[in-house]
Amino acid sequence: MIELRNINFRYAGGTDAGGLVNIDLIIPDGQVILLCGQSGCGKTTLTRLVNGLIPNYYEGELSGEVLLDEKNISSLPLYETAKYVGSVFQNPRTQFFTVDSTSELAFGCENQGLPEAEIIQRVKSTAKQFGMNNLLGKNIFSLSGGEKQKIACASVSASNPPIIVMDEPSSNLDISATKDLRRMIQIWKQQGKTVIIAEHRLYYLKELIDRVVYLKDGKIEKDYPALDALNLSVTQQAEMGLRPFDLGVFPVTAHTAASKGSIQCENFHFAYTKQRDALDIDSLSLPKAGVIAVIGHNGAGKSTLARCLCGLEKHCRGIVKVDGKPYNRKQRLSLCYMVMQDVNHQLFTESTEEEMLISMAETASDKVDAVLERLDLLQFKDRHPMALSGGQKQRVAIATALVSGREILVLDEPTSGLDLQHMKEVAEELVTIQEMGKTSLVITHDYELIVSCCTHVLHLEHGTVQEQYSLDAAGLQRLREFFIESR
Amino acid sequence: MDAAVTTLKFENKSVIPTDPRTKLFLTVTVSTIMITGSTGGFMNLVRPCLMACPIVFLLLSWKWSAAVRFAVTYAILFALELTVLPLLTGTWNFILGAAVGIYTHMLPGFIMGYYLVSTTTVSEFVAAMEKMHIPQKIVLPMSVVFRFFPTVKEEYAAIRDAMKMRGITTLRSPMKMLEYRVVPLMMSIAKIGEELSAAALTRGLGAPQKRTNICKIGFGPLDVFFFLLAIPCWVGFFIC
Repeated sequence: MIELRNINFRYAGGTDAGGLVNIDLIIPDGQVILLCGQSGCGKTTLTRLVNGLIPNYYEGELSGEVLLDEKNISSLPLYETAKYVGSVFQNPRTQFFTVDSTSELAFGCENQGLPEAEIIQRVKSTAKQFGMNNLLGKNIFSLSGGEKQKIACASVSASNPPIIVMDEPSSNLDISATKDLRRMIQIWKQQGKTVIIAEHRLYYLKELIDRVVYLKDGKIEKDYPALDALNLSVTQQAEMGLRPFDLGVFPVTAHTAASKGSIQCENFHFAYTKQRDALDIDSLSLPKAGVIAVIGHNGAGKSTLARCLCGLEKHCRGIVKVDGKPYNRKQRLSLCYMVMQDVNHQLFTESTEEEMLISMAETASDKVDAVLERLDLLQFKDRHPMALSGGQKQRVAIATALVSGREILVLDEPTSGLDLQHMKEVAEELVTIQEMGKTSLVITHDYELIVSCCTHVLHLEHGTVQEQYSLDAAGLQRLREFFIESR
Repeated sequence: MDAAVTTLKFENKSVIPTDPRTKLFLTVTVSTIMITGSTGGFMNLVRPCLMACPIVFLLLSWKWSAAVRFAVTYAILFALELTVLPLLTGTWNFILGAAVGIYTHMLPGFIMGYYLVSTTTVSEFVAAMEKMHIPQKIVLPMSVVFRFFPTVKEEYAAIRDAMKMRGITTLRSPMKMLEYRVVPLMMSIAKIGEELSAAALTRGLGAPQKRTNICKIGFGPLDVFFFLLAIPCWVGFFIC
């Protein structure tokens, strides 16, 4: 049993965001509990109290007690807590320590100094249980995000702690990887483990959870048995800022694109040496000034298409024609712009304004102001881009593309790890871009985002176009089939 | 238990089955003798062999592009030494001579180090260190370095792409270009480092009891062969 008694917490040197106020919570053994709420509500902080990272790693003012079977977790060293609590985090890229998957599965057990034979036995049985024998003995850097997350879950499982804490584990996963994640949580539930999940995407957890705790501004606002939470109406969920438990009921905002011509992609062929993610498209027509959702499973070629389109792959000889005018690879570097998943990679200067200016051939401050105004960034003109929030950074990156006159924007999973509110903001940005007559391609696994702003869907599989449709009533039905029925 | 060990699959990076300790020893051999060893006499025979040795290893491990790249570097250095150097006099002769000299002495050790890192997995490396009774406090940071090489490579590639798309790859101002590359790189590496250590700590890294290591390493006939080959080099090093 985990017991949080009168917890108050504030991060050192920071604002109140993510802090906790007067938290009292008892989690009985074997419960699968969902912590939800908007970004900054304190759900991640709560998970960190349970795995001991607060106060042993992240500093701040803490009062109250976190008890695990009468032991005070806060005063245990982390390596002790590790025997009882295993953790899975949001980012698959930063939670493996070794470089090969087999060693990674063994890592937790090795740290506990378990006997060798036992570790080997555990690694093998865990791999079998999670159906991932094919992933053993691989270089983790060569695996996909979903596979990495699978390794992360399995390595926690191998050290066999009674409690598992997950902090937004599905953020970076596609539908089928999310399905795998659900199956792994299912296994833990059957084993009688206590599972604490902080999460924004709720639909995949519907059949697993026993209880839902809703946090707001660091306080526990609601504490529901699962059934009551699942019965919340669509409007109630939206008011609470939660993503839906049931994707099918999420409100669809219809967007149609007036036909303004088309963008032709021809001869898009590309293969990595490792034969993965290859792209094989002879000809593809994209609607100009549309918001096109690019969907498909891992390895379908979504990112490769984006990279080829933006002119980042030297060996892709494809040509793009906009209204009949051809653009080769090099020309496309200044025709298209990609907003990367990790937007920190593409902000270089010391102020938002300077960031705009280095992308422009000639200085035109009125143009800069107009774009910043449109994207609600004008008040941050003199701020350091790195000091802005995630959503604001993303908008700065979009603004740099707009001031430099790009016609095509590619957004790589712009809403991974975002709550409902922030997802809606991204949707609004995309609509703004469309109103400005630009075309955007959105690589995404986010059904809610697609039905909030996209006009078309491009479905890739195995490097080829599986289907392409506009999001009218019939298109919506096909989209639902992909996201909902395929589960 | 042995049967269990053999059925557990590890990532295998090396083509030539040698113990990491052998590779480490060869790296030390090549760099020490090349950098501080004397020239002349018997060493005139040893030096070219030591220069060729890392390239041979790369070739045998199917690392064609690396082998070719280093071989070309060698060729350029020799070409400079033979063609340009005799034409120069005074300060320029000294500068180029010193540069070429330093490179030809350091490069073989560097290539050998590259071979060591690119063909050894973290677990093998840690196991080797533990067998040599190196304390945990040194082994851990070194194993993190292995984890970080590919990470830095990934991050750097992403930043390079981002700069390409912004059209700021041209050398308008070299200092600015460097800043644009390095600042985001440092930021993301710092963040990755923070998340990485949090994850490692929640999995019990740093516990005081002895760690188990399920990765097995050991010397084989090939290792003995390489040690024997190294003996005359060292004898020459101490005598000449």
